[in-house]
Amino acid sequence: MAQVRRSPEEHEVVVVGSGAGGGSAVQVLTEKGIQVTLLEAGPMLDPAKEFKEHMWPYEVDHRGAEEGGAAYFGKGKSFGYFTTSSGGWQLEGEPYTVGEGSEFLWFRSRIIGGRTNHYGRMSFRFSDYDFKPYDRDGLGTNWPISYQDLAPYYDKAEAFIGVTGSKEGIRSAPDGVFQDPPPPKAHEILIKKACDRIGIPCIPNRRAVITRELNGRPPCHYCGQCGRGCLTASNYASSQVQIFPAMKTGKLKVIDMAMAREVLTDGNGKVVGVSYIDKRTRAEERIRCRAVILAASACESARILLNSKSKHFPHGLANGSGVVGRFLMDTVGFGLSGQVPALEGLPHYDTDGFGGAHLYMPWWLWEKHNEVGFPRGYHIEIGGGYGMPGIGSFHRQARKYGYGKNLKEGVRKEYGTTVGFAGRGEMIPNNHSYCEIDPKVVDKWGIPVLRFHFKWTDYEWKQARHMERTFAEIIETMGGKVLGLSAAERESSGISVPGTIIHEVGTARMGNDPRTSAVNGFCQAHEAKNLFVCDGGPFVSNPDKNPTLTINALSWRSCDYLAEEMRKGHV
Amino acid sequence: MSNTSETLIQIEDMSRRDALRSIALAVTVVAGGQMKLEAAQHVHSQAKEEKKKSGSYKAKLFNEHEFKTLGRLAELIVPADAVSGSARDAGAPEFIDLLASQNDDLAAIFTGGLSWLDAEMRKRFSAPFVEAKAEQQTAMLDLLVQAEQTDRDRKTKGQTYEASEHYKHFKSYGIYAASDLGPGVAFFDWARKMTVDAFYTSEIGIKDVDFRGNGSVSKYEVPKEVIDYALNHSPFAS
Repeated sequence: MAQVRRSPEEHEVVVVGSGAGGGSAVQVLTEKGIQVTLLEAGPMLDPAKEFKEHMWPYEVDHRGAEEGGAAYFGKGKSFGYFTTSSGGWQLEGEPYTVGEGSEFLWFRSRIIGGRTNHYGRMSFRFSDYDFKPYDRDGLGTNWPISYQDLAPYYDKAEAFIGVTGSKEGIRSAPDGVFQDPPPPKAHEILIKKACDRIGIPCIPNRRAVITRELNGRPPCHYCGQCGRGCLTASNYASSQVQIFPAMKTGKLKVIDMAMAREVLTDGNGKVVGVSYIDKRTRAEERIRCRAVILAASACESARILLNSKSKHFPHGLANGSGVVGRFLMDTVGFGLSGQVPALEGLPHYDTDGFGGAHLYMPWWLWEKHNEVGFPRGYHIEIGGGYGMPGIGSFHRQARKYGYGKNLKEGVRKEYGTTVGFAGRGEMIPNNHSYCEIDPKVVDKWGIPVLRFHFKWTDYEWKQARHMERTFAEIIETMGGKVLGLSAAERESSGISVPGTIIHEVGTARMGNDPRTSAVNGFCQAHEAKNLFVCDGGPFVSNPDKNPTLTINALSWRSCDYLAEEMRKGHV
Repeated sequence: MSNTSETLIQIEDMSRRDALRSIALAVTVVAGGQMKLEAAQHVHSQAKEEKKKSGSYKAKLFNEHEFKTLGRLAELIVPADAVSGSARDAGAPEFIDLLASQNDDLAAIFTGGLSWLDAEMRKRFSAPFVEAKAEQQTAMLDLLVQAEQTDRDRKTKGQTYEASEHYKHFKSYGIYAASDLGPGVAFFDWARKMTVDAFYTSEIGIKDVDFRGNGSVSKYEVPKEVIDYALNHSPFAS
């Protein structure tokens, strides 16, 4: 604490974190004329420099294997050299720990835009029943808000960021404000035929990609490389779609390389500002403000709250209930692929599309949980087509065909004939899955780190086995053959490693009762009117719908509320 | 996309300096992805031509004999045929040399593996790999591929066996003798996967598999004949 600088400036709202929640907060508040200061633990993003869109593998001498062939040793960049993922499962100097008997991996991005720069952009609304899970099966807890409360904000978020889709009238997947989806690819048409036969709905995908111009952003040019970052900003990333435009308004001040340490309170327990470490100087800075929005990601925000201890808040801020860090959830993941002879010899065509599948399958058995034997649903994501060859693309064929003429012809024959299915399912929050402050470890900035505990239960395992049977049935119905895992290997990889679907939520859950929740239905801390949590933290459950769109909508709603409370002088 | 080939022809007539200038121009145009791409490709292939003219690649890690052996392996793993050139033409030995020169673990895998291969070849055919006859070289690779297959089968069986409740106390029993070719199998898998990667990430390899993407189109469409073909060859054919 040798160097603590107090900024003389009084800020209006300080937002911590620049991903989906922080980006939406910045957008909504600056539009209302409110002065916002954004803290980001990583550097400013420079798309022209960082994005490797349209690069061929041979344009770099390592072809994507990275220096020394790091990718071959599992030490390459997460999701491959050409993606724009900044950060990873482990960050130099910023560790986390995992309790004995648990397994958990935590993906963190340290850059303006956070994980929205590279995420999958699946954009699914929660269903009406997703907000009242306890009423349906007696498990977990109901949300204090309903679908009707959030629906107007889903509308706003979809209209602003741009989401594709079609009106389907399926209860598990409410329709929204959609741009036209692109047409299905050949392998997807076969998948849909198989699903029709089995009775699984297979509908146009809902992704945060624009197919017509929106607010000056040109439409998608169908290179399929969303994960590399889009130079034309034709997909949603909070950096390009919300933060850069807000910077131009003069209402936003961005402080990058700022690692939040804690939320500051005064002697009366009122939130007065934020303390952070300037990573460039390692000095601690303190800024004062009228309101604080934590949007650092569910676990990082929980960490900040738990580290914000004071006389008034001995267990951390907003944690009088003790729920901060508890009820940690990820999404259940399981994948299976198959080789489809009907696709052999297909005339080759451009399958890049809008980056990701053009169809997907929403959950279809919401009335039949008693029959299937597990309580919550999943949706299915699709893979396939002629991907750009890269490091590892043909290792399977190489091993299968040996070498020589066989190998070369085998690769030609099988290229593009594989389809993949990824199940994404809802877990039930449980008492074994949480994060807490590790009492012994600090990161290189001197901030105590998180320790994770996590367990899947039978609910999730049963759901994963249902995914496996379903995917095998789809593959076989297409005339394909299931590829991959042997019975023995399957035991250890029959369900995703906790954390690896990167949908961690629930660690500052919302509720009406301050004894059992950290924030209210507006993501406002029960203990501090001028403190909000606008990331996945307030989620009460983690439906199979990928969380980003709901984070956008919740953040938007919270900021509307905050602005109104500020106007009334309540905050 | 219809003007892609025209663009290519134009670019082939350009000097390298023109191409570089067009890149600089294209970067300032938001929707200039296509032009930028073609120009970049052109510069890349020009640079490669120049490298060829300026003489042979100088290996950073491998000695001449090792590098020649890698080249021969590359030709055998992905040979030239009527459609395209070999992995050697696609720069596989250079790719492996570069990465191994940056990583001691990878260097050891390759120098050790190549030395093992020569020793085995001398034992069997009285000549190191590159100096042996083509049929001796392929006989060696056939042995490695067979041993790999046997290993894989045994592993699958072994796991099933170990996974069985009744036999778990037999877990440590080595019921199959390990193959003497083990080190060669492991090395060949490395040589093959890196050779295959080098080939299919090269311009030659990308063309060989007829990848049609990485473009820019204003409307995404799937050709009707493709859909018809897939349906007609599927269980859903009417």
